[in-house]
Amino acid sequence: MPSATDDSAMDTVTPPVGGPVGSPGGVAAKRRRQAWNYVAVLALVSALAAGPILVTNSYYRYAGVLMVMYMVMATSWNLVGGFTGYVSLGHAAFFGFGAYCTGIIASDSRSSVILALLATVGICLAVAAVIGVVALRVRGSSFVIVTIALVYMGSLLAQGLRSLTGGSRGLDVAGLYTFSTRAARHGAYIVTFAVLLGVVMFLWNFIDGTKFGMGLKAVREDEDRAQSLGVNTTAFKVVAFALSATFVGLAGGLYATWTGFIDPIFVFSVQISAQLVLMTLLGGMRSLWGPVLGAAIIVPSGEFFLVNLPEYHLVSMGVMLGTVVMLMPNGIIPTLRRLWDRRNPPAASIRELAGSVGALDTDDADVERRAGAPRAVRA
Amino acid sequence: MTRSLFIQSVVFGILTGGVYALLASGLSLYFGVMRIVQIAHPSFLFLGAYLTYSLHNRFDIDPLLTMPITVPLFFVTGMVIQRFLLARLRDENAAMMSVLLTFAIAVVVEGGLSAVYTGSYRSIDVDYARRAFDWFGVRIPRDRVIGLVVAGTTLLVLFAVLRHSRYGRSLRATMQHRDAARLVGVDTDRVQAIGFGIGMSTAAVGGAVLSIITTFFPSGHWEWIAKLMAIIVVGGLGSVGGAAIAAFVLGITEAVVQSWLSPVWAGMVFYLFLFVTLVFRPQGFFGGRLAQRY
Repeated sequence: MPSATDDSAMDTVTPPVGGPVGSPGGVAAKRRRQAWNYVAVLALVSALAAGPILVTNSYYRYAGVLMVMYMVMATSWNLVGGFTGYVSLGHAAFFGFGAYCTGIIASDSRSSVILALLATVGICLAVAAVIGVVALRVRGSSFVIVTIALVYMGSLLAQGLRSLTGGSRGLDVAGLYTFSTRAARHGAYIVTFAVLLGVVMFLWNFIDGTKFGMGLKAVREDEDRAQSLGVNTTAFKVVAFALSATFVGLAGGLYATWTGFIDPIFVFSVQISAQLVLMTLLGGMRSLWGPVLGAAIIVPSGEFFLVNLPEYHLVSMGVMLGTVVMLMPNGIIPTLRRLWDRRNPPAASIRELAGSVGALDTDDADVERRAGAPRAVRA
Repeated sequence: MTRSLFIQSVVFGILTGGVYALLASGLSLYFGVMRIVQIAHPSFLFLGAYLTYSLHNRFDIDPLLTMPITVPLFFVTGMVIQRFLLARLRDENAAMMSVLLTFAIAVVVEGGLSAVYTGSYRSIDVDYARRAFDWFGVRIPRDRVIGLVVAGTTLLVLFAVLRHSRYGRSLRATMQHRDAARLVGVDTDRVQAIGFGIGMSTAAVGGAVLSIITTFFPSGHWEWIAKLMAIIVVGGLGSVGGAAIAAFVLGITEAVVQSWLSPVWAGMVFYLFLFVTLVFRPQGFFGGRLAQRY
């Protein structure tokens, strides 16, 4: 029962047209787009890393570090948010955890800082996997609640374990770079975070094309059905969550070495998580470029409010988030893409792609189609 | 830990548990009628406390007597938020989007409060708050007792309405199965809006109580949301009675741990309960099987 609206057309699986591979332009076009994405990511990273050559003002460089850092974190957040649809407000917990890991392990020497950052990656991966196993037992709003609780647990622990963390007074951390001027240090961190951004975006783009990525998207579309079709949803979700949290943890560690000081109230604040969600939603959750675009908009505008209207900084963030949720939940990039598709031959929906890849692997598109049928009933 | 200190902290826990129970019941109500987690609930609790503070300072009204003003105001605000914001979210991803939307509301309320009242601590000083009952060597502050009485009375009224009124029956029907309720003639849109209004009213009552029992500051609501969330998950999402029981259990545990170890570990109590619940009984201890799905 195809109807006139786009949404319901998404819901029904269109039978493959143009041969067994699936809808024309489906897989092949997607592969092509992915290849181009790698090139574009490289271009973006080089452009960001070249930024300090053009910008010498210390404050602008500082804002630049913040922006690239948030790009890294929002893209990492999107590893779990975009693929699985699980909205986490708990990534600030890993930001703070990573910061404290690095801060506690590192001593004064530079090599110890590098070692501490490496250790942070390992510890975050392990801790996030364990937490993920527990937290991902619930879905939807329960999951959001649990992730919020993570942030407060982190904050309480940081303030409670005084001998380790320095308590509410905070913790001093050695720097990664030994430049004498502030501007030079900021410049070095822009390059560092830009490289990390490249790594995370490559990973996102890579996962996007793998069977693992398809499984994660299946979780987003309909978790129960994905499970019954043989996707190991728990393992997939935990891996995605751990990867996502680890990069945020590493960003937290780098942040700690950048500022040289950890304030437990700041690093463990739900607002950091909320910023990541806001950036990703604004740019577009299902797109590689969404979080980056969102961060490029939100960080400068946040800084603008912080400098010019500090008392309305919070209100402005809340209003932005509310507006995006109400009016543009799909984000800028998917909205633009839809406009583009209206003029050009439409790209296949994820559902169709999933179906056609299934057809490639099992050569049995019919199973996919039958599995797709109950959706209309469920609504 | 001496025996009298233990009894003292249990009594304190019961007194605080009353306020937790009242607010958690509001949260459960929202969840029941709309299947959403209302993150902004404690921010309205704090808004209520600040309004009480202003009315008390400006017009010299007793903090508890501000409720006839704040409760209707919050009731209407709740209906407006439900009608014009939450009900307009598209269905496909409403659970997630509503969390984000109410999060945004909480941030706006907090931002507004800190812009108007600055970030510093406020409190209301009333003469009855300074006295205390002495009862077998246990000191019971009178303001906390008044708080428990107000919260408890409101909670009982709420239960009575849910159990015995016609509206309560439609509300419970909507909670159980919205489409079925609509089929048998329940105006579910109206029920949901009123449910939201009632939920917000608990925040207004809680705000008045909060203003006399403790100091408050704009960003204080985050700690409350984490605690209340733990309470409703332990109690079972959507179960008003379960939330009330969990509120008292956790409130007492918190108070005992606080006097035994430290405030930091007292805060951890909530999260430990939360995670233990999730590992062993994700649907909560009193509710249905809602939690796994929503």
